[in-house]
Amino acid sequence: MTDATLPAVSRSLWQDAWLRLRKNRAAVASAVVLAVLALVGIFGPMLSPHSHATIYQQYVRVAPSFEAYPKAEDILPGFEREMKRARLTGAEPVLEGSRLSVALTAGEKPIDPRVTRYFERSELFSAPQLDLAEDGMTGTLTVSVNRQYFILGTDNLGRDMLTRIMIGIRISLAIGLLASVMALIIGVAWGATAGYLGGRIDNVMMRIVDILYSLPFIFFVILLLVFFGRSLVIIFIAIGATEWLDMARIVRGQTLSLKRREFVQAAEALGATRRGILTRHIVPNLLGPVVVFVTLLVPKAILLESLLSFLGLGVQDPMTSLGLLISEGAQNMRGAAWQLIGPALTLTAILFALNFLGDGLRDSLDPKER
Amino acid sequence: MTDPVLSVRDLRVTFQTNDGPVQAVRGIGFDLGRGETLAIVGESGSGKSQAMMAVMGLLAANGKATGQAVYRDAQAGGRPVDLLALSDRQLNKVRGARITMIFQEPMTSLDPLYRIGDQLAEPLRYHRGLSKAAARPRILDLLRLVGIPEPERRIDSYPHELSGGQRQRVMIAMALANDPDILIADEPTTALDVTIQAQILTLLADLQKRLGMAIVFITHDLGIVRRFADRVAVMRAGEMVETGPAERLFTAPEHPYTRMLLDAEPEGRKEPPPAGAPELLTGRDVRVTFRIGGGLLKRGRDFHAVDGISMRLVQGQTIGVVGESGSGKSTLGRALLRLLPSTGRVAWLGRELPQGAQEMRPLRRELQLVFQDPFGSLSPRMTVGRILGEGLLIHEPDLSPADRARRAEAALVEVGLDPAMRNRYPHEFSGGQRQRIAIARTMILRPKLIVLDEPTSALDRSVQKQIVMLLRDLQGKHGLSYIFISHDLAVVRALSDYILVMRDGRVVEEGPTEMVFDAPREAYTRDLMAAALSRDRFGRLALG
Repeated sequence: MTDATLPAVSRSLWQDAWLRLRKNRAAVASAVVLAVLALVGIFGPMLSPHSHATIYQQYVRVAPSFEAYPKAEDILPGFEREMKRARLTGAEPVLEGSRLSVALTAGEKPIDPRVTRYFERSELFSAPQLDLAEDGMTGTLTVSVNRQYFILGTDNLGRDMLTRIMIGIRISLAIGLLASVMALIIGVAWGATAGYLGGRIDNVMMRIVDILYSLPFIFFVILLLVFFGRSLVIIFIAIGATEWLDMARIVRGQTLSLKRREFVQAAEALGATRRGILTRHIVPNLLGPVVVFVTLLVPKAILLESLLSFLGLGVQDPMTSLGLLISEGAQNMRGAAWQLIGPALTLTAILFALNFLGDGLRDSLDPKER
Repeated sequence: MTDPVLSVRDLRVTFQTNDGPVQAVRGIGFDLGRGETLAIVGESGSGKSQAMMAVMGLLAANGKATGQAVYRDAQAGGRPVDLLALSDRQLNKVRGARITMIFQEPMTSLDPLYRIGDQLAEPLRYHRGLSKAAARPRILDLLRLVGIPEPERRIDSYPHELSGGQRQRVMIAMALANDPDILIADEPTTALDVTIQAQILTLLADLQKRLGMAIVFITHDLGIVRRFADRVAVMRAGEMVETGPAERLFTAPEHPYTRMLLDAEPEGRKEPPPAGAPELLTGRDVRVTFRIGGGLLKRGRDFHAVDGISMRLVQGQTIGVVGESGSGKSTLGRALLRLLPSTGRVAWLGRELPQGAQEMRPLRRELQLVFQDPFGSLSPRMTVGRILGEGLLIHEPDLSPADRARRAEAALVEVGLDPAMRNRYPHEFSGGQRQRIAIARTMILRPKLIVLDEPTSALDRSVQKQIVMLLRDLQGKHGLSYIFISHDLAVVRALSDYILVMRDGRVVEEGPTEMVFDAPREAYTRDLMAAALSRDRFGRLALG
């Protein structure tokens, strides 16, 4: 009789959480933003016409623009400059589409066909074509104008900001995720073990955490970098190695309350081993709070990496990260505000999205809400 | 007859959930006369609490009430007001002053940070504008009224210094502070020991006689309202199936559901095991001691939770362990299974049980435990199939997953559940079903002894009966032995053939069930039985 009442649909806790999360517009929008940014970080640099390391000496600190560089008014002066270098004289150049042609006038000597090299070397022009008359004294020179787009401008060395921001997203998200995964694995294993075993083992394990806590983070990172040299991997490790401490404390606290729950006692009464109880009962039930903490840990790791890069301890040129870009932008913000605004807005968007998503997850996983 | 103080008409409560709207209360109506006691009885989920919460405007955020709840305030000249139409601010003048409420959990309904006196002063200061000093004599009166000993001292105590029964008395005092017209009592005795339950009920009846307020008494236990209520309304699935004077409802129930609730007392007796049954478990002088307090220099005090208990269990026998909460009965059960460090001898089939967890592990298969709370004892992140299969994973690691699944299905069938349910999660099941799953989890290992730690006390009466029958069936089929720990004497009587009565860690009385129930020697045993209230429950034991 009373045993016949079951809800119509079967739903696990995660499905339930997902249903609630879907109702939270801010969280869903954040998840979409993050997904898009992640795709941009992964595929953007591959699709971009510029490499993040290419330096365009002609286009140092150019402002963001949807128009192609060189701009129309810069083409002819640039061409004149190259003509002068090649010691060529000619009539008025004619620009048709992206082809620029000029009728060369006769000088004292015949025109050397190798003058095209001057135009090949130029970043403005490519594919020079020289049609000489029979006597070699006159002819027509045709070059293509290289049109480059710098939608977000370029930096002080003349590198495309858009590509660099996309690389920055890639590196920052990767550091955020990898460092968080590292913190997650170490923290959950450490905290759950300490909390479940309790007693003296717990005491020793948590005192180790306390000792590591008391090391200043920057000092610790410098130490690591000095010992192992500067590399991306060391940065992952440095951030992961400090962030797991929080995770271990949170997990231990949760474990302490979980191990007094009856289903853990029931497993003990069944004869389950400690390891079985930890992996089958404690860790799966920890996941709710842990998932939430991880979404808040990712932005923290990104910020830490930014801090390290800002201080010059992070990734190295020409590789870049959002933190490094912001640091460079901050130095040039008077003359070239776009160098700061682009990466700063991107980082803000990522952090906002992660925090909103974390909040949404916490609300949707909280059993009190059901 | 004067106008009823509260008349409810076509009250509906709807909750918006992820699965669409759920109707918790489906159009109920009743009248509550001045000074009348109305008991609303129903099993969990019948909407009895939600109906009164709706009247008080205390529904959860996703709940909505429609209909009418007309309240006639005697102080305001009996002018009718529809409570459901009032704004929150207007409602606040009524609730806590004219209509008050007491809840099930006295442990959590008092704020642990404030003294009793301050908390009692709250309604007086808010509704009457009394100063702290002016409220004090009134508070002392109230504490005296609800029978708190030494009110002058208790007024400055913190909640944790009071016992559960005393806290519930304080809650009643708080509800009475402003001489209400209506007192709503939502399962006020469920969380208390049987003896305390009786005291609280007597207090409520007595207060009503002296103060003349109307009481709405919400409970799932039909037994306790018989002597107490004037009228009884029976609710089922959001509807009122039967209302009537208490006496008529008990002697001539009309609706089959009411009849079912009335016969929900577990019945039948267990036959004692044959005389030559082999001995399974013996305990001699078992003691469990906890160290309380103590600091760096101070030595803590020793607390003897189990204080030298000896017992003998033969195959096929059920020993019932009864006693109030805190008497050490659960601790004894765990100590016998070596789940707690203890001293004294515990022998299983003649061999001493090892103390170490490692050596104990293979023996766990034969010695099982079922917990009180079926909501807490099943891991929420595992499917029923995995929960059932866990014991097999430990004790028969060679079984293939398919074999484990088959055994799990067989175990579900054995406890009367659909085997297709093994892919579901525990939170999808009702309390009774979960307790069946918990029993199946132990049965799958074919144990010889199961310690049942209050397995029925979190369940509705009718479900209790089914679980008791299931346990008896399984015992007959597999020749199991039980140690049945409970404070519910009706269930103990139906299930066990030998009784241990425990108090403060010691056995005060023991003997075959019939003997202990029919001729209790100790006053404590008699108290326990008298407190169980319903006279139908105990054959010859008559209540005054």
